[in-house]
Amino acid sequence: MNVELQINNSADANARFVGWCPSPCRIRVTNPSGTTLPTVTIELRSVSAASAGAVVFRKTTNGAFSDTIQLDVPVSGTSVPFFVAGRFGRPSVNNGDVRIEARAKLTATGTPTTLVGSVPVMVRIRKNAESLTPGERDRFIGAFARLNNQGLGRFADFRNMHTTVSQPQAHGAPGFLPWHRAYLLDLERELQAIDASVALPYWRFDQPAPKLFTRDFFGVSGPGGAVQFSNTNPLQFWRTDGVQGITRAPLNNWNPATQPGPTVRTEAQTFALGTNYAAFSIMEGNPHGTAHTRWDGYIRSIGTAAKDPLFFLLHCNVDRLWAKWQRQNSRFDPTQAASFDSNPSNPVGHNLTDTMWPWNGVTTPPRPPTAPGGGLAPSPCASAPGAQPRVQNMIDYAGSVNALSRGGFDYDDVRFA
Amino acid sequence: MTTKKKAAKSSRKMSSRAAMAVATDEKATTKQRVKAMSQAPLAVCETDDNLQKMLAVVRNKDEAVQVRLAALDTLATAAFSAVKFESCRNDYIAALREVAEDPSQEIRESALGLLAGEKDPFVQKKMLEGLKNPQKALVPPEKALQLLSYDVHTEAYAVARDIVKNPPSETAKQEALRLLAADAKSAPLFEKLLRDKDEKREVRQLSASALNALNPDKLQEHAREILLDDSEYEDIQATSLTALKRFGDEEELSKDKALLKSVDRLSTEAKSAKYKRSAKQFLQTYVDKDKDK
Repeated sequence: MNVELQINNSADANARFVGWCPSPCRIRVTNPSGTTLPTVTIELRSVSAASAGAVVFRKTTNGAFSDTIQLDVPVSGTSVPFFVAGRFGRPSVNNGDVRIEARAKLTATGTPTTLVGSVPVMVRIRKNAESLTPGERDRFIGAFARLNNQGLGRFADFRNMHTTVSQPQAHGAPGFLPWHRAYLLDLERELQAIDASVALPYWRFDQPAPKLFTRDFFGVSGPGGAVQFSNTNPLQFWRTDGVQGITRAPLNNWNPATQPGPTVRTEAQTFALGTNYAAFSIMEGNPHGTAHTRWDGYIRSIGTAAKDPLFFLLHCNVDRLWAKWQRQNSRFDPTQAASFDSNPSNPVGHNLTDTMWPWNGVTTPPRPPTAPGGGLAPSPCASAPGAQPRVQNMIDYAGSVNALSRGGFDYDDVRFA
Repeated sequence: MTTKKKAAKSSRKMSSRAAMAVATDEKATTKQRVKAMSQAPLAVCETDDNLQKMLAVVRNKDEAVQVRLAALDTLATAAFSAVKFESCRNDYIAALREVAEDPSQEIRESALGLLAGEKDPFVQKKMLEGLKNPQKALVPPEKALQLLSYDVHTEAYAVARDIVKNPPSETAKQEALRLLAADAKSAPLFEKLLRDKDEKREVRQLSASALNALNPDKLQEHAREILLDDSEYEDIQATSLTALKRFGDEEELSKDKALLKSVDRLSTEAKSAKYKRSAKQFLQTYVDKDKDK
């Protein structure tokens, strides 16, 4: 007997990635030989090394997860649904480092012992850059360098999405957080198209980052402010707008490897801003803006910030803070006033039902004259938020209110529930 | 008191409006004002009066440099809140241009950096002036070259070439080379520097990066030759290997027996474990690929 396990309801190997949010899956018998029963009991379990990822299961959209589940699967080939999620605290390190095994009970008595199918999966989670293994780090910077491809690659679109011309689309109003969430997700999916095992890491700007600010990772500032990389680091070939390298130097004798960002609000202080979105979104100034302006160089100004790959790790932390705040305060429901700050006086692109530039392709005022990059990249693992997301599509990213809203990303310290 | 409560208290301790008041209060200490500045970015945008007060701090040469720098940072942070800041932008740019010629070098560099981020033509003009006539220079040559690279104009290339020939410092030379990496006519210069074993290794690494953009095929040729050269420095070989690995033609690399032999030697004989590992990864990709055929 053989079964087929489909992760994220797909037979595509590129869909075998899960987070803390439950992924819809199914199992069906593809070869019924070896049993005479109309329905067989199949047990699913997670198999992995202690240092690797781990997954848990449940049968329905609600209820508790468990390490194993037993499903009654018809031999006729009809699919049976179930859900898989990463076990919180056990993210993967490598692609496919967790195996879901299916063992069947082929007779009317006994226990499910016969291995009838297995599938490798990865618990792909956005992690603190400081916690990446050298392998994870190298895969990430390798994919990023390839996306940039000497300034000629797809990254140029991302650089052109975040400029002085486009700044009102994404800053200074309530859409700041949703817009950047979409921006990061678009970039992350492009990185995953290069290397599916990559997830965007985040820079905890309120903590020292001794591993991130090294020549082997995001570089160290040279005497003139030009970032220096090791000879094995592909980011030594980084180029944007036809200009070689990255300019980035910490200001006021700050050492980002040993000190947190000076005067940057800590995580606890950021959460203390308030439990409603209107109060919380003050974080656009400090810590967000403050984290940008602790530096001299590209990252200090809105028009040049996206030239520096560090921008995306800084914003990944901003997004993590929002996600964690959402979890703490149950702010995933876009229809609840406290989850967003919709107001008719908000500029276009900053209300719940507004589409977001550039993914909407609109190039007439008040939108910018060009819309680089086309629609938001699709994912084989999640259908949301769609190619032309609206502000409201970015709020329930974990599918907490509506499972179909799941965007397919999670943070190492933000639980699903 | 729990951490959460402490944070809430600290966050409430100074509302952004109160922070604005302390930040612009000349009677407060420098330390108090610098701290308050960090909590004032959004308040700056709330009223024109607030903005003007903060700009006045930046412009006031009698204020402590630390306070003025903190005010510049606060304005730069506020500038990220584009919609709210838009009405202030012209005054902000005018103030930056004014203090770009301030007696304090720190203030000048900070203001010029922010103007360069806005691609302000004032920066181009002043930086070129200063490089051509050092008596008029607002910042050291390396900083001027770096600021010019935010918005590269061909006029800067001639100045950069002169600096490469007669560099006032090693940093200035490297910044000039970074700027020239946007100039297609400079490809031969980078070829020469890359192959010059007497040149500083940072310059050779930078030259490889520049050549990779200006003439990627040439870099692939040189990278191969560097790896075949037993007398080459390991770090330059490592950069060459990275260029081949990331940007080379996979098919050709897997067939290149001489190259694979050299990389194999690097994988066992390199002094640096990191270079050994990089060479091994290369071999895993290309030798195994060849075996698959």
